[in-house]
Amino acid sequence: MRSEEEVKRAVEQYADTVRRLCMIHLKNYADTEDIFQTVFLKYALSTAAFESQEHERAWLIRVTINACKDLLKSFFRSRTVSIEEILEQPAAPSEEHREVLEAVLSLPVKYREVIYLHYYEGYTAPEIGRILGKNVNTVYSLMKRAREMLWDRLGGEEDEG
Amino acid sequence: MRDKLKETFDQIHAEEELKENTLEFLAEKRRRDRKKRFPQSRRLVPVLACLAAVFLCLGGYRLYFTPTSIISIDINPSLELGINPFDRVVSVEGFNEDGKELAASLDLEYMSYTRAVEEILSDERIAAYLSEDQVLSIAVAGADEEKTETILSQVRACARGHKNTHCYGVSHEEITSAHEAGLSCGKYRAYLELKEYDPDITAEEVSGMTMKEIRDRIASLAGKEEAGESTSYRGKDSAQQKHGHGGQEHSEDDERHGHGYRQGKE
Repeated sequence: MRSEEEVKRAVEQYADTVRRLCMIHLKNYADTEDIFQTVFLKYALSTAAFESQEHERAWLIRVTINACKDLLKSFFRSRTVSIEEILEQPAAPSEEHREVLEAVLSLPVKYREVIYLHYYEGYTAPEIGRILGKNVNTVYSLMKRAREMLWDRLGGEEDEG
Repeated sequence: MRDKLKETFDQIHAEEELKENTLEFLAEKRRRDRKKRFPQSRRLVPVLACLAAVFLCLGGYRLYFTPTSIISIDINPSLELGINPFDRVVSVEGFNEDGKELAASLDLEYMSYTRAVEEILSDERIAAYLSEDQVLSIAVAGADEEKTETILSQVRACARGHKNTHCYGVSHEEITSAHEAGLSCGKYRAYLELKEYDPDITAEEVSGMTMKEIRDRIASLAGKEEAGESTSYRGKDSAQQKHGHGGQEHSEDDERHGHGYRQGKE
């Protein structure tokens, strides 16, 4: 079990990342709280030694995504929440970025994940493949399709990202 | 577009409340885990409890089924009752043919010893012996003297209504040597007494004799000794031999025989 200080540091350092991943996957705040508890408890109990901060970050992202998926699977979602409700959550961005977030959240989960991991976390396709446990080529096509859909929704000019 | 996405996501932060709740949850978990420390020893508790239960059962079983005191009842049938610390009869053993027969016919196990003794005394076979003026000897032995004393007084009370009964306590060592000789306590004692006068007598012979016969034999030999008579033991031996063997088959007949011999000798 990791020390209290270590866990505290991890919460401080990765809370935002975990929160964003929750935002991508989940529809309400209560589930987000569950995920926070699950993820950081797993972190506290894990004996995995991390080679670097990057390694640690990747580990947490993977754990969070898996936890979210487990939650979604386990809850066969009678309680769905609209995007509006998500955007009313305290962590929601200001008006000018709402449009973008709405567009991202309107995509299916598998596209949201790659968009987030690639454009925000800056992972390459092979890295995303490792995190999500998917074939690199699959990730490439997911990225391509996600980009198309997102650009389509935002009506923006396509750039090579 | 990339920048827009980045800016958008940058605006998403974990709420302070969320972080605090998470840390609170982890601290709580840690506290509970600490309480659950010593998991090794805790995990052993049910195992130890089971072991203790098994030992208690085994110990209880042994305690219950190990006789600590013995009541030896001899007339001609000689049998011994093993009494456990809870005053229950846990073993019934016949030391000669008649004794075995009697033991088999009576269901004495797990009775309190007072009832068992009463049951034996009121058995018609025993009653028959008693009515023939036979002597019934009840010997009580045990490792614990106090206990032996208690049992003895109880047994005395039981035997009060029956004539010709004779109750006494014997030492624990005596039982051991009696069993080695294949006799019940009461008979062994009588056998020792008889042996003083008749060194050639064997335990086997005594086992087939009724208590009265032994007593009579002792009385007659003692009487003889007191009278200063010196008789050769040889002749008597053969008499005893017959007498002893006969005793096992037909006690009544032998009774007469015995008297005959004794009278003849006297």
